[in-house]
Amino acid sequence: MATEQHSQEGGVKHRHRHEGPQRHIVVFVFSVLLTLLAFAAVAAGGVNATFAVILLLVMAALQVVLQMGFWMHLKDKGHLLPIVFMLGGFFIAGTCIVMALYWVWWD
Amino acid sequence: MTTVHAEAGKGTLPHEPEKATLEGRNKVLAFWLFLGGEAVLFGTLFATFLALRNSTNDGPSAAELFHLPLVAAATFLLLASSLTSVFAIQAMHRNKPKELRGWLLITVVLGAAFLALEIYEFSVYVRHEEFGMTTSAFSSAFYTLVGFHGAHVAFGIVWIAILIGQLVRKGLTVVTAPKIYVSAMYWHFIDVVWVFIFTVVYLLGKVG
Repeated sequence: MATEQHSQEGGVKHRHRHEGPQRHIVVFVFSVLLTLLAFAAVAAGGVNATFAVILLLVMAALQVVLQMGFWMHLKDKGHLLPIVFMLGGFFIAGTCIVMALYWVWWD
Repeated sequence: MTTVHAEAGKGTLPHEPEKATLEGRNKVLAFWLFLGGEAVLFGTLFATFLALRNSTNDGPSAAELFHLPLVAAATFLLLASSLTSVFAIQAMHRNKPKELRGWLLITVVLGAAFLALEIYEFSVYVRHEEFGMTTSAFSSAFYTLVGFHGAHVAFGIVWIAILIGQLVRKGLTVVTAPKIYVSAMYWHFIDVVWVFIFTVVYLLGKVG
């Protein structure tokens, strides 16, 4: 946005780029693969429980980062405040989860 | 890859119409703040669920209850709907209102299919598995967390359907564009929450 003028007024002829669907389809394919892998790992069974928990959580986090980065455009320029808002939300959410688990497991 | 074209002669809609006005930019920024709050809301529900997931009170446990093929089907429906709402925004950026309406409609239909599966799943639990809201602490936490997400999907369906109606009546303008952009952000966020739900509630429930 910074280098391009997209103003309605003036009617100045200008060019701009439109992103194609390709990279969003790539994110979709990666999300599908991560999801399939997660379901398959559980459906197949026999996977060490601790390893499965770590694997599943890492794959979920990876998928969320991909989708928020590309589909919600958080990786684009000018998204510092949205990232601060979301990280703030995740931080408080994580604190709640740690608190609840600590409370139940190690009372 | 990226297509380049001159905008002259294509109407007066700016390249990113959702950010063309101060009101639009404020709407998008404020919506991010709202989504941060939503993350906290779902975080508390996840915390409650994780704390109570093994408190089955002699009722069904997660491993006995969940049927993974159904959950996988719901997951792919919602994931596909997130992709179609990306396509909707891309159509909006290319100033193609008809394409935009089409993708939004597909998004709504996929969301409704997801919701139908969830309602079917809950009805099976309640009628055949004797797994109701008050069966156990686990069941209460499960229905509250997953049901809250389902309520968000239902709200999103109604919201986007209304926006399709606005598009028909008012067209794609710098006023309607931010509303559509923000609804797509909401829809992606609902899908992101579902990624955690199918992982933490269903898959980890099966693992034990």
